[in-house]
Amino acid sequence: MMRPDFFQFLRSPLLWVPVILAALLPYGLSSYHLAIGTLALLYVSLALSWNIVGGMAGQISLTHSVFVGCGAIFASSLLVRLGVNLWIAMAIAAAVSAAIGVFIALVDSRFRLGHLSFALVTLAFAEIGELVVSGSEWLGGASGIDLPKDRGQFWQFQFGGGSGYFWAALVLALICLVVSQAILSSRLGYFLRAVRDNEDAAQAIGIRLFRAKAMAMAISAALSSVAGTLYARYSNFVDPSLLASPNLTIEIVLVATIGGLGTPLGPLLAALVLIPCGELLRGRFGGSLPGLHFFLYGVLIIIVVLTSPEGMVPRLFGLWKRFVAGRARSRDV
Amino acid sequence: MELLLQATVQGLLVGGAYALVALSLGLTYNVSGIINFAHGDFLTLSMFLALAMQVAFRLDPYISGVLLFPVLFVLGAGVYHFLLRPVAHRHLLMVIQLTLGITFVVQNGLLMSFGGQPMRVPSAYEASLILIGDELAIRTPQLLAFVGSLVLALLLWLVLDHTETGRRIRAVHQNPRAAALMGIDVPRLRMVIFGVGIGIQALAGVLLVPGQPVEPALGFRYTVIPLMALVMGGLTDFRGVYLGALLIGVTEALGTVYVSGTSGMMVPYGLFILVLLLRPQGLFRRA
Repeated sequence: MMRPDFFQFLRSPLLWVPVILAALLPYGLSSYHLAIGTLALLYVSLALSWNIVGGMAGQISLTHSVFVGCGAIFASSLLVRLGVNLWIAMAIAAAVSAAIGVFIALVDSRFRLGHLSFALVTLAFAEIGELVVSGSEWLGGASGIDLPKDRGQFWQFQFGGGSGYFWAALVLALICLVVSQAILSSRLGYFLRAVRDNEDAAQAIGIRLFRAKAMAMAISAALSSVAGTLYARYSNFVDPSLLASPNLTIEIVLVATIGGLGTPLGPLLAALVLIPCGELLRGRFGGSLPGLHFFLYGVLIIIVVLTSPEGMVPRLFGLWKRFVAGRARSRDV
Repeated sequence: MELLLQATVQGLLVGGAYALVALSLGLTYNVSGIINFAHGDFLTLSMFLALAMQVAFRLDPYISGVLLFPVLFVLGAGVYHFLLRPVAHRHLLMVIQLTLGITFVVQNGLLMSFGGQPMRVPSAYEASLILIGDELAIRTPQLLAFVGSLVLALLLWLVLDHTETGRRIRAVHQNPRAAALMGIDVPRLRMVIFGVGIGIQALAGVLLVPGQPVEPALGFRYTVIPLMALVMGGLTDFRGVYLGALLIGVTEALGTVYVSGTSGMMVPYGLFILVLLLRPQGLFRRA
């Protein structure tokens, strides 16, 4: 099923050296910077999982806040109200998210929505999702849910202090990366790219559209949901205005697009650069200039779309290749 | 029964104001082919500018609206010319991204300048009520908003259907290439129309602002709801769009009254999804 380059990717030092270096970071960083690193890794997971639907399959899904909210809020409610073990609650929420994702894919293929309609339908789902949360006492309503104190018990989905959550976020980001790469190197990856480039042609050569889109949606939704659960447990509190709001999706979409869609590297690097920059800006100017980092995201996305619509990372790689080729040529002469 | 009547009238009035935003969104979309996710943010921008002019010069918002129209016209034309035109022919995702980027810039620019606390813009008729019989009370600013947007919508229809300029606009919508061959300066017309569409937001902004707490994040709602009205109305059919907006206003008002809690606010979104699935060509058009 998998192409051999997937296994090369798994064995590559380009993967493992950065991961090991990142895993050592908790020994060197202050708790403030470690928290920023954890947040960046959570956004890596969110951007990578959105990229499976938005980048590989070219489906402008604006519904991902529902999946993140499901993982954060529904799983927390299961824990707080019913005493369900959070690992199991995480799995249940991920399954529910995947089911919602499949349902949206079903709606999409049953009614053959265009890109615009798909974006709007998913946006309407996201708005409804936010209203469901803020109207339901069981889900914490608009005021959110406090999680029980973290006692560092792993079997309760508790990872102790800042380092523990950093490593957990690192593992999740790594899982998202490996899953993305696995999809890219498998038949599903080819199907998705064919669907993205020309849906009719993809169908004509025998790709079952619904199956491909539903699988992408389910995987993407489940991963987003798990990231939501981890986010909630990490911050000890679920803030519905943050985790269930369509704004979260938009932020993820913008970060992923600034990096460059399609391959995992773009969203990955963009989240690793933009989220820490945004957080540091917020730490410094948050009091006097709230929203400065979002303002700069906006400016950045406008520049990126106008100058290098393929994304920053492929663009920089292209420039680097040209630079290297140019030097090689000048040596030859 | 009183409640039903009151809610329906309330919904129609609000829907009429939505309709103006939806029509201006539809105008820009049909002529330039760009779906502008930042449309509602220009509305918030004009509300904040009206607030600033109220504070600085004691100008009533209704007067500010007229003064702000040319400002937003130039802004809209500039945004189209420098930012949107270069990506207009690209993948829809790129256009959506770019306008979402503009949303971030406007929203957070406002947040940095005015702060996130909801603010109110006082105006002359803000608190006055019109009583009809003894069961129906209408807030004057809402009636003004409804009438104002209806007048503007009629004006728009007159221009589009009965003038030479309107013929040109429709020609560009139907077939830009043929329109260009007939000697219409298509890029310039698109720029002007985009400017008009954004300029209308200045008027819609001051019509909606009395009694409405203004905050930077408000714009998204005023993009999403008009967008739903536009799609429900079938994108190109302006009467359909107007009716779609009224329908959203009424379902919203009835939903809030008759369905408990926030579930009532879901009714318009649910209706939108149903319409899009069952009648993707729009509510009032034949397939």
